[in-house]
Amino acid sequence: MSDTSLNLDEQLKVKDLVVRFYTYEGIVKAVEKASLKLRKGETLGIVGETGSGKSVTALTIIALTPSPGKVEDGKILLRKSDDSIIDILKMSEAQLLKIRGREISMIFQEPNAALDPVCRVGEQIAEAILAHRRMEMIKKSIELIEDEKKNGRHDVWTALEMWAYREMLNNSSKTILKILLKLPIIRNTIKRKLNHAVRQEIIELLRLMEIPDPERVIDAYPHELSGGMQQRIVIAIALACSPLLLIADEPTTNLDVTVQAQILDLINRLKEKFGSSIIYITHDMGVIAEISDRVAVMYAGSVVEVAYVKELFRNPLHPYTKGLLESIPRPGTPLKSIPGNVPNLVNPPSGCRFHPRCAYMMEKCKEVVPRLIEVSKDHYVACLLYGGGE
Amino acid sequence: MRSSLKIEQSPRIKEIIFILTRMRENPLSIVGLAIVISFAIIAISAHILAPPVYGRDPYIIPRSGYYPEPQPPSPEHPFGTTQGQYDLYYGIIWGTRAAYRIGVLVVAASAVIGIAVGSLAGYYKGFVDEILMRITDIILAFPSLILAMALVVAFGPGLDSITLALILVGWPGYARLVRGEFLRISAEDFVEAAKAIGSSDLRVIIRHILPNAIFPLLVYASLDIGSIILVAAALSFLGLGPPEGYADWGQLISLSRNWITGTSTNPFAYWHVYTIPGLFLFLFVMGWNLLGDALRDALDPMLRRR
Amino acid sequence: MSSNLRAYIARRLLLLVPTLIGMTLLVFAITQLFDPVERAALYITDPRQARFVNEIILKYGLDQPIYIQYFNWITQVIQGNLGWSQSLHMKVLDALVTRFPATAELAIYSSPLIVILGIYLGKLSAVKRNTAIDHASRVMAIVGWSLPSFWLGIMLLAIFYGGLGVFPPGRLSEWAEALVRSGEFKLYTGLYTIDAIINLNLPIFLDAIYHLVLPVITLTTINVALIMRVMRSSMLEQLGKMYIIAARARGLDDKTVIDKHATKNALIPVITLSGLLTAGMLSGVVITETVFEFKGIGYFAAHAATQLDIPAVLGFALFAGILFIIANLIVDILYAYVDPRIRLG
Repeated sequence: MSDTSLNLDEQLKVKDLVVRFYTYEGIVKAVEKASLKLRKGETLGIVGETGSGKSVTALTIIALTPSPGKVEDGKILLRKSDDSIIDILKMSEAQLLKIRGREISMIFQEPNAALDPVCRVGEQIAEAILAHRRMEMIKKSIELIEDEKKNGRHDVWTALEMWAYREMLNNSSKTILKILLKLPIIRNTIKRKLNHAVRQEIIELLRLMEIPDPERVIDAYPHELSGGMQQRIVIAIALACSPLLLIADEPTTNLDVTVQAQILDLINRLKEKFGSSIIYITHDMGVIAEISDRVAVMYAGSVVEVAYVKELFRNPLHPYTKGLLESIPRPGTPLKSIPGNVPNLVNPPSGCRFHPRCAYMMEKCKEVVPRLIEVSKDHYVACLLYGGGE
Repeated sequence: MRSSLKIEQSPRIKEIIFILTRMRENPLSIVGLAIVISFAIIAISAHILAPPVYGRDPYIIPRSGYYPEPQPPSPEHPFGTTQGQYDLYYGIIWGTRAAYRIGVLVVAASAVIGIAVGSLAGYYKGFVDEILMRITDIILAFPSLILAMALVVAFGPGLDSITLALILVGWPGYARLVRGEFLRISAEDFVEAAKAIGSSDLRVIIRHILPNAIFPLLVYASLDIGSIILVAAALSFLGLGPPEGYADWGQLISLSRNWITGTSTNPFAYWHVYTIPGLFLFLFVMGWNLLGDALRDALDPMLRRR
Repeated sequence: MSSNLRAYIARRLLLLVPTLIGMTLLVFAITQLFDPVERAALYITDPRQARFVNEIILKYGLDQPIYIQYFNWITQVIQGNLGWSQSLHMKVLDALVTRFPATAELAIYSSPLIVILGIYLGKLSAVKRNTAIDHASRVMAIVGWSLPSFWLGIMLLAIFYGGLGVFPPGRLSEWAEALVRSGEFKLYTGLYTIDAIINLNLPIFLDAIYHLVLPVITLTTINVALIMRVMRSSMLEQLGKMYIIAARARGLDDKTVIDKHATKNALIPVITLSGLLTAGMLSGVVITETVFEFKGIGYFAAHAATQLDIPAVLGFALFAGILFIIANLIVDILYAYVDPRIRLG
């Protein structure tokens, strides 16, 4: 992997990411030199147990590492929609505001927790739209007003709206506009067409999410909707601005199995439609098999294996991956599990973090941290069994 | 990597050390602790700092005459005298002792009653819980100062009445807290385990559940003692406490009310009569509040990360 | 109003009844601490009746079993007979009703100040957590909470009134009192500031405000801590929640995330607490009213207590308790309305 830029077909590259959490119990080394590559239009599945660092990595990609976490090292290279390449970790907050929701979006594990309980869902979708597509919406409002004018419907209020929109379009900072926008009733009158335009857009989006009766749903509060509906709303928010990269952090784990299938299906179809790349995080091997093009296996903060999904299932190389695949319950065969426990990340095992639980452990494994190397075409492993030691 | 011997610490000891470490990092808690300890020292050494008159109740402040106008601080009266020539210094020292006496007594008694009621309600639940909680709710339905006032009037004014009234008004708070903790802890597995091996109810309550409920109780108690002293002082201030001349901070402050306007030449001529007792009362309460607040922060799981 | 909310209100109203009964039982239990002669005062409406103690004892069954006594007493109370207050020389109920506006006036001005200041400081503390501002406001809040209200009041009076001659105690200056008593100034609500506006009398309005300054400052200083602390922890709790991360993931800036989402959610428990605080203040701030000679129900309860005027004190306790419970109910309903999860089920 080249270090400072992306290949033409690459969307995202995470290189040697290190994230540590400073807690009273000690320094938690949550992500230790994790590396990933995502190609345009592909779905990369990240699989791992709790504590593997997958969620932290996901949040760090969108620069929302939860406190008290700190990114200590690494690069996250992203290809933006204008084809420029940036390092997320070097961006200022102001720049990141333009990336979140626009270039990268995220959907979450618990849709109920991801929505503001006292805010109507339509409002929350509108936020995403207005954050990044404001000008587009204003132009649309102007068009709507001009249509109305043609039909002979105009009055002083419409003229006022028109004026306001034209000003906003030119990014004017006229004081009178600011004052008007602060007054309660006037504010709503001026924004009437804008709100209408946004509302139309949201309804379209909800239809795309296959949500029945969008007119009613748009004004609902999150708790009034079922889990599956809530997750569709979350997806709607994420896709509102057609991001090139969608990060899905276990979006179906908390849903019923039938709903799970529907959502997975929806995500796949939307991916086709929007042409986004997806990073899909889960601990469920079944889902991985269904949705990924390529798979990255994470353990205790590092990526231990990456391969195309068929190759991974057919020919797992890393002992941990083997263990994961073997532990999938199969009728007729006894249950197998990986011996040992998820390691303590404050005092992780030396060398390869998996060595205490590894059936193939060698003396070297206690001392050397294996690096991710390409063992066969597009199949990478970080295990001393295949080399990669120093 | 930690080599050498690591003594296996029981989780409770680890918890205590953890809390103490957290608190040590919080400067406010140190201040609070310092204040509380200083006052405790004053209270304990009251006999030495302000020797009482032989044969009399030490809590009665000696007076040098009956002249109404308070005298400013002087060598024989370090804090001056208050209305009626009571020595302010003596009153403050023994007032500290009185404050601790009433505070500890009320908190201890309220806690004991509260623990008894709360554990029964939280452990047995059902009907017992309903009845006990109705009773606590009714008492809690009244603003505490007002209920305490009514009780003191019924019992007849005096320090003992105040103590009793505050206990009666205070125990429901503890009961609610303990009940809540019991409900929470009862759901844990180790309680089921203890019951399964046949431990008697009393044993389960005392040996297993209570120790885990201790910490929130301590926080509550340390915050409570401040309020109790304030309410007791308030009742004394209103005139429902001990008779005039008793070493009670609230009393002393009420004696100062007539002198806030000072003399025609110096409006602050009698500053010592209202400033000093109030200052001591304030510091005492603040010390306990700082301590309790720091303790609460140290125990709060949400605020445990840096 | 949704059916869910209606059901909630109905349930709470139903719960009100046993609580009210329980309260009366408690007050009644306290009356039992007195002997029958003293208890007789609870039933008389005129001082001349005091001579007929024996008749009263017979009439209300003061030497009869408890349940009969309770029944007699509670019927009297429901009819509004709370007895005669010998320290105030009027019926207890009259005393409460005429003194209440003063307490209400104090509460009306202090409450909003406490709540607004508390919310502002709490939010600031949470957002700027562990910085100097956070520590400073928390210390300020603890100081305020630890201050004895009577000491603060006395110190303020000593400095401003004693030292500078401004902000005297009482509700009105002498000339204003005279004017109000004379009948030229019509009383509508009993709250001097409001009545002054209705009477279009500016001097009295200003005079009333003038006398409100110190008591309101005292009450605010002491109670801000409570609101601030709850707001702070509520905000911190919200800021750790998933929907905040989700909001940021949409590209919303810090200000919007905090002001629009976190604050709205954080305010919910604070509203309840504010309501309870106001209720507590309406039940009579005994100490502050006494120190500033602000003649509300608290002032007269304290006065009655020192005179061992039993009917007055018990009447006041009952009044305060009932007020508190009703206010609790209103706050609960308000809470249910504000939180859409409860409002819409």
